[in-house]
Amino acid sequence: MIVCVAVVGHQNNPLYIQSFTEADDALKLHHIVHCSLDVVDERVNNPKKSGPTLNETFLGLLYPTENYKVYGYLTNTKVKFILVTTDLDVRDADVRNFFRRFHAAYVDAVSNPFHVPDKKITSRTFAERVSNIVKSFGLSSAG
Amino acid sequence: MGREVSESCVDSLLTEMVSSYCNRLYANKPELAAPRIEAIGYQVGHQLSERYTMERPRFSDHLEAIKFICKDFWSELFKKQIDNLKTNHRGTFVLQDNKFRWLSHMSVDPSSENGSTVEDNSVAAGESKATQATSMHLYFPCGIIRGALSNLGIPCAVSADISNLPACSFVIRIKA
Repeated sequence: MIVCVAVVGHQNNPLYIQSFTEADDALKLHHIVHCSLDVVDERVNNPKKSGPTLNETFLGLLYPTENYKVYGYLTNTKVKFILVTTDLDVRDADVRNFFRRFHAAYVDAVSNPFHVPDKKITSRTFAERVSNIVKSFGLSSAG
Repeated sequence: MGREVSESCVDSLLTEMVSSYCNRLYANKPELAAPRIEAIGYQVGHQLSERYTMERPRFSDHLEAIKFICKDFWSELFKKQIDNLKTNHRGTFVLQDNKFRWLSHMSVDPSSENGSTVEDNSVAAGESKATQATSMHLYFPCGIIRGALSNLGIPCAVSADISNLPACSFVIRIKA
């Protein structure tokens, strides 16, 4: 199950962060996302250690914690997507697929002429789309 | 997936945008029209670059990003690539398009062209006026290039040059 997704701008400013848990642990999840930013920087600045292909947008598993796995994605425009999940055996292909759909939703959201670049994404359509993608992630990995 | 946009609509929109900024909105302050049109292009380029770089690996250096602009970005916008790319390897790039689509349906006002009977002075004046009018139409594509590159993390200044219609070149100067 995905517990948290986040979009972080190129100056490490949060653009969108949403948790999907019943419990009141938003702060903890935000902290995890915050920590992952350093890992993203490290991956990008030391490309030899980065994922399977050089400069790929998908950064793979950033770090595992006791209960969570954190995945990262960095677009060409230096916007970071962070995914926190509780599933311990996640298939890479599922995560890639998730990020691809998430990226498409993000692009559509920032292409809105009323969206101000580098400001938080407040679009309700985007929030709905993201929660749909998050829901279907659980289904595809179960099936 | 591919959404189509009528080319003639885009042509008319560009012409109309330039004329309303120059002749109506900023008729009294012509020096403000150009930056405004450039700013619109900047936003368009900013958003387009986000979309067109979706499925590709990140660029490792400036040249790669510029090549992307010349090839893929230009093909998406104008169905052709840039014809010639020159660089001094110190942050200046010249992109030449031999048949720039947004200028290909433009012609110079005949009154300024058939000026052989008139005095040389007014011929030159007419020509420079026509050049100025054409160059107003290039602020928008300049803005697009600048917007796309800054979104890719390359701050730069872009200017355009009309050699002879419909060829034109864009000069990109990357800010150190």
